[in-house]
Amino acid sequence: MKNKEKRKVMKRILLMLIGLTAFPIIFTSCTKDPVNNLTTDESRIYITDHDSSVNFTNYKTYSISDSVATIEDGKSSHDITDAGSAYIEAVKKYMDQAGYQLVSREDNPDLGVDVNHIINTSTGVISYGDYWSDYDGYWDPYYWGYPDYGYYIPYAYSVYQVKEGAVSIDLLDLKNASADHKINVVWTGLIRGSGVYNATVADSQVKALFDQSAYLKH
Amino acid sequence: MKNIKIFIAGLSLMICFALPANAQNTQLKLDLNYNYSFPLSGFKNDLISNGSPRGFMGDLMYSFNNKLSGGLSFGFQDYYQKYPRTLYNLSKTQQISAVLTNSVQATPLLLKAKYFPQSNSFLKPYVSVGAGANIIDFKQYYGEFGSSKTNVGFRAEAGVGVKIPFTKTSTSGINIGATYDYAPYKKNGYHDLNSVNVQAGVVLQLK
Repeated sequence: MKNKEKRKVMKRILLMLIGLTAFPIIFTSCTKDPVNNLTTDESRIYITDHDSSVNFTNYKTYSISDSVATIEDGKSSHDITDAGSAYIEAVKKYMDQAGYQLVSREDNPDLGVDVNHIINTSTGVISYGDYWSDYDGYWDPYYWGYPDYGYYIPYAYSVYQVKEGAVSIDLLDLKNASADHKINVVWTGLIRGSGVYNATVADSQVKALFDQSAYLKH
Repeated sequence: MKNIKIFIAGLSLMICFALPANAQNTQLKLDLNYNYSFPLSGFKNDLISNGSPRGFMGDLMYSFNNKLSGGLSFGFQDYYQKYPRTLYNLSKTQQISAVLTNSVQATPLLLKAKYFPQSNSFLKPYVSVGAGANIIDFKQYYGEFGSSKTNVGFRAEAGVGVKIPFTKTSTSGINIGATYDYAPYKKNGYHDLNSVNVQAGVVLQLK
């Protein structure tokens, strides 16, 4: 009789242990993973920032770089790929729609436009503070006709860090560079997420940046 | 905060003093319940308005006598909500367009007491109170880029329910209940993770 009762208690304890371990395992494995529940489009983010002291209607013309700066682990190179070309064409399209006129570099454009593909394959991360501080290494001010000037970023754009691919587009104030003795970055747009550096999505990605920057018009 | 400490101390003392006094009637029971949670107030308005069907609650309870039992309550609940793409202001000049996802996992560990006013009837209605810790894992994602914070907060609950024995003589049975859970969460401008929970499950007598 005693053995029978012991077995009964053991059985109950076993049941309890099964319940205590099975319930948490079942339910914790049923948690919804936020990243796995996103579509490719939903995974992307678009961040824009600008110099609030600037009136963008004061600019009329722009010129865009003829290549994309690929910034990989802090080192840059300039190349032109299908994706890069598609981004440059898309920026032209939406700058035109915003009322700005494309001119050559030699025609004293009011705005310069740089397109950057940022990659980081090292274990660390590139913070945007580092990105801006090395900007003259990616885009020699000589390219825009101001070899002795430095770049200046008038706003704190440092919330996000890049661990993988991203595309950024920067608008440079060339109109007032001589007066200011520096090239101000008056607008920047950043695209992050899965598969953003791709010719097939370039137009929609650039459109998203311009759509959320209604102040960007002549 | 002082009231919270007094509440927990009172509950602990009640359980400790009741334990030896009724040692001859000892009964150890395990309640295992499926739990559906409805966020309330600040939780609902600021973070997640969707109900969560992903959770469980378990009670390991010691019966001091026919009317009173006390013990440990533990559980897990996963809350999740994805909001459509929206433009958010990060600063006066900085905007982000993103699909925002909030994900909260709550793991309460409470001291709990249950009172059965009609212990001799077949159906055994009860009221319960509990208080203790709430381990909160809060993740917020803009697109696929997220941040995560884990905190331990306070949690208190009050509940009602009924136990339905399998047979007239059975001490095991089915449990159906509901609780209101108060869970302050003063982080990042948020206020609370209060919720109403409904549970259904089994009661197993262990000893």
